[in-house]
Order: sequence, then structure tokens, then C-alpha cells
Amino acid sequence: MGLGLRWYHFALWAGFILVMALMPEFVSKGTLRTMIFANFLAIFAISWDVLSGRTGYISFGHPFLIGIGAYTTAILTKRFDVPVEYAIPAAIAMTMVGGTIMFLPALRIKGSYFALVSLAFMELIYQLVQVIRPDLTGGTRGMSGIVTLTRGAANGYYLSFSLMIIVALSMWLLMRTRLGTALSAIAMNEESVKGSGLSPTKLKLFAFMTSAFVAGLGGAFYVHYLGSIAPRALFDINFVFTIIVATLIGGASTIVGPMFGAFFLTFLLEYLRPFLPGAERYLIYGAIALLLYMYQPKGLYHIFMSQLDRFKKSGDDD
Amino acid sequence: MLEIIIQGVLLSGLYALIAVGFTLIFSVGRVLNLAYGAYIMVAGYIYFYFSQLLGLPPIAGLLLAGILGACMGLLKYNLIVKPLKADHIAVEISTLILAVVLQSAVILCFGNSAKILLPIIPGVIHIGNATVTYNVLVATIASWLILIGLYLFIKRTHVGRAMMAVSMDTKGASISGVDIDKINMITWGISGFLGAIAGVFFASYTQLSPTMWVAPLIIAIAIVIVGGIGSIIGTLVVAHIIGFMEIISVALISPQLRGVFTMLLIILVLVIRPKGLFGREEL
Repeated sequence: MGLGLRWYHFALWAGFILVMALMPEFVSKGTLRTMIFANFLAIFAISWDVLSGRTGYISFGHPFLIGIGAYTTAILTKRFDVPVEYAIPAAIAMTMVGGTIMFLPALRIKGSYFALVSLAFMELIYQLVQVIRPDLTGGTRGMSGIVTLTRGAANGYYLSFSLMIIVALSMWLLMRTRLGTALSAIAMNEESVKGSGLSPTKLKLFAFMTSAFVAGLGGAFYVHYLGSIAPRALFDINFVFTIIVATLIGGASTIVGPMFGAFFLTFLLEYLRPFLPGAERYLIYGAIALLLYMYQPKGLYHIFMSQLDRFKKSGDDD
Repeated sequence: MLEIIIQGVLLSGLYALIAVGFTLIFSVGRVLNLAYGAYIMVAGYIYFYFSQLLGLPPIAGLLLAGILGACMGLLKYNLIVKPLKADHIAVEISTLILAVVLQSAVILCFGNSAKILLPIIPGVIHIGNATVTYNVLVATIASWLILIGLYLFIKRTHVGRAMMAVSMDTKGASISGVDIDKINMITWGISGFLGAIAGVFFASYTQLSPTMWVAPLIIAIAIVIVGGIGSIIGTLVVAHIIGFMEIISVALISPQLRGVFTMLLIILVLVIRPKGLFGREEL
């Protein structure tokens, strides 16, 4: 097939889907709600990874994209009574427009400078949302009473998990194509990509569009799960932090990594709750993230894989 | 009109003070220290602890905040920046993580609610129909003195010139016998000290809260990006551009649009002239 698919790929994905689909039978509703958040975080982390993990254009302003998706569908459904099935595609389209705007600076700058522009984008939209047409956006307070798509923890879980797995599988397949390889090459050396007869601009645009598509999808469904939206919680540097850390802890440039990182972090945060109820939890969470990142910037996925390799090798020696 | 000018000058002075430590690191170490905003916040809390909870005189609190800030800078250089040296993006990400860790450490020690810092020097002065607190006036004067001092330090002293050399060309500087590591340590120390002093003044200008670090970080980033690498004069000029822009937009357009123009300016300058208005020809 050219994608290098093996039987164990199918087996692993099928096993994973099966286990996750049976989850509501075994775990409590509280745990399910935690897993819903983990699913959404995984979508956002995958979106970040497609852009930043692959091409090396680090986005410190990913909530800019997520927020466009979330706000568009929230405004359409709440203020204009647009049905959800039209509002969400519209939101994704708007997010891709936002992705194009974010892409423009990437034509000229990269590295630290691009990271800063993306941060500026986030701060810009954070301030604009509160000022421009507060009758639509709800201003500083945001909006509540947005249509929710599901009732009960189990349904919410199924919806968020299906979304997450569709996104993860399609991104996983996409990254195994030659296109995916070319995207990773951008991070290594843009000049050589050009030298190979490929257009870095088109590839970058593609990465931004894909990332925006996923971010818009995630953002739109997330707001229809929560039923409310507030600028301070959305365009928050702590949110950026969570997305980036989830990706890096799990392992950037992989699809399994961000998923794993999202679950790891969400559950870590949840298990710390009995000991540290408030925002202090981020102290432990951040410290673990920092230590792990300093120890192995490539993340847990890489640690796991290298252990697996070592295990295989020692097996061969016997 | 007079009020706009006075407020503009005062705010710009504060902004220049906030940005100068950040510029220093960006010019010499070539890394963006995203935990810089967190220094500012932590220094505000250190001052709060010593001078308001323990009742030390303000000047002692200010000095202690500065010294502890310098220690934080040194610690961070040795524990995070040095091991990750080759990778700028890794330094940025880990300093961002550190900023969130510091934020939650502050929440753990002092709680989540905002605190009002008593003015460092109480009292007000009336100039025309504008009211100026001594506090802000002192911050502005201190900022001017620190900037002039720093400028002289870099131009006149041996260490300062070595810092400039490192900022221009690391390899060349090390061939000429400059100890890069030592210069970096000194830079991180000075930057931590300046950030802490700026933090105390900034906290007394607004208020103390665990999330207050984002705003000064963004201002510092804006000033450095627009001003350009390695230019103290650029920092000073752009601090005034941004300070006046904010005061004018608050006074004439709408207070809510305060930060919007700053963000637009960053984006515009980065896209049109990535090396900044006063930066050296490079990139």
C-alpha cells in the first residue's frame, strides 16, 4: 500500500478502540468525564503537533485557532439560531481562514519569532473578542446556554472518543504518506526541501490548514460539549501550556504521543485533586513536565520505543 | 494633552524598565526567556512578603527582591538554559513551563486572590491638572537611571564590552579570550535583578496576582521585537512608542483597546521588518 502498514498496526488500533469503547461499562461517570476532557485535549494536542511538532513552526497561540472555531459555532447557534449541523462546518471553515491569517507571517519568519507572533495573535483575539461586538461574543463574561449535543457522561464520552479516534487515525495515515514525510523535512531544513523540487510554502500552508481544520473541529465540538465559553479560560497561556506539554510529554511528531500525553496529564491533574484542590496542582504537574522534558525532550513515546528496541535486541543476542 | 504626555512618559519609563532585562538576555544569550514575566511576578510577591508582611523598610524589600531575582536568574541559567543550550525552542518551551510552575508556587504560598501593594513611596504631586503618584514618578526616574547606568556599563566597562561581543558573535568573542559561560552567568544575574526591580514597581503600579506575569511578558516581548536585538536605545525608544500608544488609545479611543495596537504593532513589525526598528542586520 505504500504506507508501510503491518498487521500489528491494525491489531493495535483495533484493540485500542475496543478497550476504549468498552470503557463506559467499567468506569465511573466521574472518570468518564475526565476522559472526555482527555479526548478533547488529545484532539488539540494532535492539531498542535501537526503544525509545530512536524514543521517546527512552534505555535504559542494555538487557542487562537481553537477559539475561532468555538466562538463561530457558539455565535451562530446562540445568536442566529443556526442548526448545529451547519454551524460546525462553518466554524471549521472560519478556523481555516484563521489558519491562513496565521500562516502569512510564517512566510517570512520562523523559529522564536514565529512563536512570538502566534502568541501575539492569541493576545490580540483575546482582547478583540471582549471589545468588538460584545452583543455577539458576550464580551468579557463569554456566553452560556449554548446547545449541547449529548446528555449524560457515556454519550459525551462516545462522541468525544469517536472524534478523537477519527482525527488520530486520519492524521496517523496522513503522516505515513510522502506528504507527512515532507512536512517533517520542513523542520529539518527548509532549503533542502526546496532543493528537492518541493514547495515549502505549499507544504507549510497544508500543515497550517490541517492543523486549523483539526483545531476548529475540536473547538466547535468542545464548546457544544461544555455549553459555555469564556475568553479568559480559552485564550489563556495555561491552556497553551497544557496543549504543548501534553504533546511534548507524550512525544512530538507522533500521533500516539499527544494522545498518550493528553490522557497522562488529564489523569495526573485529576489524581492530584484530593491533595491539592486548586491551581496549585499545576506546581507538581509543571514540575513533572519540566523534569521529563529536560530528561528526554522527545517524550515518553520515545523512551518507551527505545526500551522496546533494547528489549528486542537483547532478545536477539540470546 | 498635558496629561497624556505626563502619563505617557511615566508609563513608558516603567515599560522600558520591564523590557531592559529581557532585551539583555535576548541579545547576549540569544534565547527568549519566557519565564521573565514570572520573575516580575515573583519579585512583587517577595517585596510584598518582606516589606508588608514582615514590615522591613521598602528599600530593604526592594534590594532583597533584586538579589533573590538575580539568584533566580543564575539558577535558571545553570539548571535549564545551559543543559539545553543548543536548542532555542527547547529553552523557550521549558521557560514557559517554568513560568507556570512559578505561578502555581505563588498560588500555593500566597493564595489565588489579588493583593494590593502599598506604594513604595506614598504621596502624590499635581502637575497641571494631572495627578502623579510619587510611586510612579520614582519608578520612572529609577528606570531612567538604570537604563543610563546599564548603557554606560555596557559601553565603558570591560565586562560590558565582553557582553556586547558575545551578543554580536559568540565564536569570535570566545576566540578573543572572552569566557562565554561567565558572561552568560553575569547577564542572567543582571537580567534577574533588573526584572525583579521592575516587578516591584510594576506590581505597585497595578496589583499583585498570580496571573499578572503575562502582561509584562507581552510588553517586554513587544519592545524587544519592535526595538530589535542588542539595542538599549531601541528598547528605550520603543518603550515610549508603546507606552504613548497605549495612553493615547485609552484616552482618545477606548480603554478596552489598550493592548490591541501593541499586538498589531508586533505582528506588523515582525512581518515587515523582522530584525526590528533598531536591530542589527542579521537573522
